[in-house]
Amino acid sequence: MAAATRVLARNWRGSYTVPAAGLYPHQWSWDSAFIAIGLRHISPRRAQQELDTIFSAQWADGRLPQIVFNPRLDVHYSPGAAFWRSERIPGSPPVPTSGLIQPPNHALAVLLVHQADPEASARRRFLPRAYERLLAWHGYLADRRTDPSGLVHVLHPWESGMDNSPYWDAPLAAIGETFRGDIPRPDLDHADASHRPSNAEYGKYLYLAARYRDHDCDDRDAGYPFVLEDPAVNALYARSEWALGRIAELLGNDPAPHADRAHALTEALETLWAPELGCYVARDVVSGELQPYRTVSGLAPLLIPDLPHTDELLTMLESEHFGLGQAALVPSHDLTAPTFDSSRYWRGPSWFNTAWLIAEALHERGFHDEARSLASQMADLGLEHDFPEYVDPISGEPRGTLRFSWTAALSLDLYERLHGREGAAL
Amino acid sequence: MTVLNAICVQEQVLEGDTLEQKWEIAQAWGFDGIELRGGGDGAFAARLRDLRRAAANGVPMPTVCVEMSHFIGAFDDDLRRDAITQMGEQLRVIADLGGRGAMTPASWGMFSRRLPPFEPPRSPEDDTTVLVDALGTLGELASELAVTLYLEPLNRYEDHMVNRLGDAVELIRLVGLDSVRIGADTYHMNIEEADPAAALIEAGPYIGHVQASDSNRLEPGAGHIDWALFGATLQAIGYDGPIAIESRLSGAAADVLPSVPPLLRRYL
Repeated sequence: MAAATRVLARNWRGSYTVPAAGLYPHQWSWDSAFIAIGLRHISPRRAQQELDTIFSAQWADGRLPQIVFNPRLDVHYSPGAAFWRSERIPGSPPVPTSGLIQPPNHALAVLLVHQADPEASARRRFLPRAYERLLAWHGYLADRRTDPSGLVHVLHPWESGMDNSPYWDAPLAAIGETFRGDIPRPDLDHADASHRPSNAEYGKYLYLAARYRDHDCDDRDAGYPFVLEDPAVNALYARSEWALGRIAELLGNDPAPHADRAHALTEALETLWAPELGCYVARDVVSGELQPYRTVSGLAPLLIPDLPHTDELLTMLESEHFGLGQAALVPSHDLTAPTFDSSRYWRGPSWFNTAWLIAEALHERGFHDEARSLASQMADLGLEHDFPEYVDPISGEPRGTLRFSWTAALSLDLYERLHGREGAAL
Repeated sequence: MTVLNAICVQEQVLEGDTLEQKWEIAQAWGFDGIELRGGGDGAFAARLRDLRRAAANGVPMPTVCVEMSHFIGAFDDDLRRDAITQMGEQLRVIADLGGRGAMTPASWGMFSRRLPPFEPPRSPEDDTTVLVDALGTLGELASELAVTLYLEPLNRYEDHMVNRLGDAVELIRLVGLDSVRIGADTYHMNIEEADPAAALIEAGPYIGHVQASDSNRLEPGAGHIDWALFGATLQAIGYDGPIAIESRLSGAAADVLPSVPPLLRRYL
């Protein structure tokens, strides 16, 4: 796994890791948490710094921003700091950021980073510092993003981390408006247009982002047209509440409120269960409609300990729809669906972060053989193809950019846990 | 992949009249070998009989680090020629002992651009010419002897010519010999490199030897260098050579040195 270390060392920018040199020149929120999970095997100190840096960009309302911009590279990614002008928005941090959020995988990462070297963590007072930040972050989700259903919502496809999932097709189609300004696409300098979201999608993306920004990101825009409850976002939130409970215990605090919150989320997730599809789906809060697609997001609740549908999700994973053990990793979308596209971003390709989450979930639910087999396939595929951003779910061929940080980090994590000195943790 | 690097300690911090006695102590403290110090005026070659006996008695001595008052990049022609002669002797001795190589900086304590009078008496172009010439001469000898000459970048206050690993890589490319490699020292890297891990990875193929001391020149563990990252980085470049402790000590040697091998081993 020396190659993974080289990728992570090269993508380090002094206090955080870029997702990839070129295509993604800033710090992304959930990328950083995934990257820290791998960095802990190389340098617990650097893994802590990675998380400290994203926490340092926390807003006064507790949100962890989707992107923390490097202002010197503002022309390399769109929409950048000049689009967001976060310095004009009340409660924004001293560094320029996006106003949106990403899935809450941070508490999970904080606990794993702490456990990698509890002494180094204690020496640097990492855990108490991170706990305060995580409380504020989860507080933002509870206070500002929770629906009457008890689930949190995303206000933009980007907030789900799965930008062009078929979940967003109908809700986006229902939006008449599109962004009026230029649509700069520096991403296409680095990646094949047929693998990336289309320009029509980008027009809607920018319309939503601009509207959210122009309402000071205050979550009080009553007619805002995109409000979606996503299963993976909620599953990660619940799983992170469990992690936060463990962190609270380690610090001598009461874990019960976190367990209560996790239970409440698990219960609320029942409203997203689609028995006819055998998995969870997203709900459009604006129309009230469930979005009837099988995606990897709908399998992510497997991460939750007391889920009522664990066995059904395993059956779904192993079915023709996701082909666990046959397909490369876990496809982002149902292999048999008419909307499946083996090369377009989150409409088919297999991603390493979701494979890591599913491997972790399988392990935690006691499906050890399945977990080990997915973990070892992931480490092999990452290494063989120079840590691609994602892979074709049928051929396993690399897609997107290479030397992608979370691919390297999470492949390294699984490799270490399968073979490392810390013992077989998988 | 598990790479087992020999962790060595320099001879002057070990008590004992003979190298065999010093080796007893080094072993008891968990070290795998001894790094020799090579004095000038033929002093190192004069130790040949003792060194051979120690080698015959099984004392591992893979490397020698120069300890002189002038070096291969000296401004003075006579001193420079003498330094090249002395380094040649050190290469011969270490080859005779079955070791790996000898380490030298371009200079030490001769000039710093950060201290008055700030402008050295020789141009950078002439520095390069002089160093490429010296490294070429010694590199060819090292090649004949099947050992390696290690060029050590020093921090800006100790040398004005070769401060970063990248400076050494440039010179080694100009010399064009596999028998000249970098001797990387963590203390100097901590001062000079923007990102020591990234620098080691960039210079990976050129790293021939490594010396470890902490950010404050004390033994590893007494400062703030990230040793976990150091170990992962050496593994990432496939470095399987020795790591020699060249440090001042934060306490009595017997108290502080035994903690060093387990600290480094944890991350290698």
